[in-house]
Amino acid sequence: MSSRVGVVGLLPWLLLPEVVSSGLTHHAQAPPVSVEEARVFKIFTARIRQYVKLQKDVEASLPVLKPTNEVARIAAHQQALARKIAQARGGAHQGDIFTIEVSKTFRRIIREEFLGPEARLARRTIRRDDPSERVVRLHVNDIHPEDIPLTTTPPTLLSKLPQLPKDLAYRIVGRDLTLKDTKAGLIVDLIPNAIPLNTP
Amino acid sequence: MMPVTRRAAGFSSVALAALGLSLIAQELTLPLKPNSVRFAVIGDMGTGEKPQYELAEEMARYRQKAPFDFVITVGDNIYGGDSPGDYKTKFERPYKALLDAGIPFYATLGNHDKPNQRFYKPFNMNGLQYYTYKKGDVRFFALDTNYMNPAQLAWLEKELQNSGSSWTICYFHHALYSSGAFHGSSTELRLVLEPLFVRYGVQVVFAGHDHVYERVKPQKGITYFTEGASGALRSGNLRKTLLTAAGYDRDCSFMLIEIAGDELYFQTISRTGQTVDSGVIPRVGATSGVASRSAISPLAVDVR
Repeated sequence: MSSRVGVVGLLPWLLLPEVVSSGLTHHAQAPPVSVEEARVFKIFTARIRQYVKLQKDVEASLPVLKPTNEVARIAAHQQALARKIAQARGGAHQGDIFTIEVSKTFRRIIREEFLGPEARLARRTIRRDDPSERVVRLHVNDIHPEDIPLTTTPPTLLSKLPQLPKDLAYRIVGRDLTLKDTKAGLIVDLIPNAIPLNTP
Repeated sequence: MMPVTRRAAGFSSVALAALGLSLIAQELTLPLKPNSVRFAVIGDMGTGEKPQYELAEEMARYRQKAPFDFVITVGDNIYGGDSPGDYKTKFERPYKALLDAGIPFYATLGNHDKPNQRFYKPFNMNGLQYYTYKKGDVRFFALDTNYMNPAQLAWLEKELQNSGSSWTICYFHHALYSSGAFHGSSTELRLVLEPLFVRYGVQVVFAGHDHVYERVKPQKGITYFTEGASGALRSGNLRKTLLTAAGYDRDCSFMLIEIAGDELYFQTISRTGQTVDSGVIPRVGATSGVASRSAISPLAVDVR
């Protein structure tokens, strides 16, 4: 079952207006979105904007991080940024950004990706380096797990989800989809068990 | 398909062992032409262990004979921890001789790297996940294959359109073509990147991830190298496939590249200083094909 039929535009790309007019190859083109998806993406995008504003306000209170030889300074900036954002979002809960209806839409898109005709490719992409396949418990406002190798987020999935501003990324940890602040290293929100098991 | 001229077949050491052969040390063969662009390629190196240090020493030794001007890394720059001590033991100490000589490194991020490595000045990423720069008549694209989102693809396409160079080289962590048994080819990334590479005339691609060295037969006119054994090594992990032009998986290695006019010379060197693969790639449009000069020529083995 798919509702991705009514084309209303290129909403997933609206956060990046420069992308739309660049004459892209078909592989990089934004897929069509339905009216319902467009509505939900708009909710999501508004919440992302709120987060980015908070992030920028917090970072403005810190010394500017420029490329440096001093690794300690990079680490100190990340830690301070994470701590201050977590404080500012002290009451944040899972689902604040991935709301119930946003999660529902994201789960459907992810399900189509991982159970659809290209599922083999997507599953191959997220195959983990970590042979232990240990389960990691994730929480909003925690530091994103740093002791396990990054999983490549499938590029075809990224082309179907709303695009994120710089310093935010969708990440896959086990079966969870996280929204990660890459500069602070924080888990901003997550959808647990978003990646379906192998069988529908 | 682009015709391939091969003067000698390349081999993995697995194939060599089966033949009861050993690698033959070979003197430096790069042409060392004036005004050429010369650089080294390393990948999956940041272990902080003895093989990384020994290979780095070999790089410094080779630089006395073949003065290369910079180093590119295909990721996994710092394994494990990310403390100042880790940067010291896994980067600054092993490459001290090169760093002291003012050799810049241009890094990409691997799946073991923390994103904020992009702020570490010696990696020359200027705080960016992906970036481009030019050396002589060669345009380099350093990509982040951990997160190949539409923004990066759009940026890449725009920059490739405006490359304005005779040579275009891309490098990143996950190999689009690999015969490594542990990871193999990143086929989904290939689906989104290869069309751009073909459309905009990328000639050579370097990647890592699999901890072996492999030169892949030209695919749609592009030569792909995997150099993921500059510190970490999965000995015996290269499975010779139809893709394989040459390979080496018995020891750590790095690559030397020289681009002079319409030719790109490559030489892959092991931790003990042996040349395990070498050759020349003519620029597409000038002539075509890859002529390889394996350390083990003139013997030949079927590529299966």
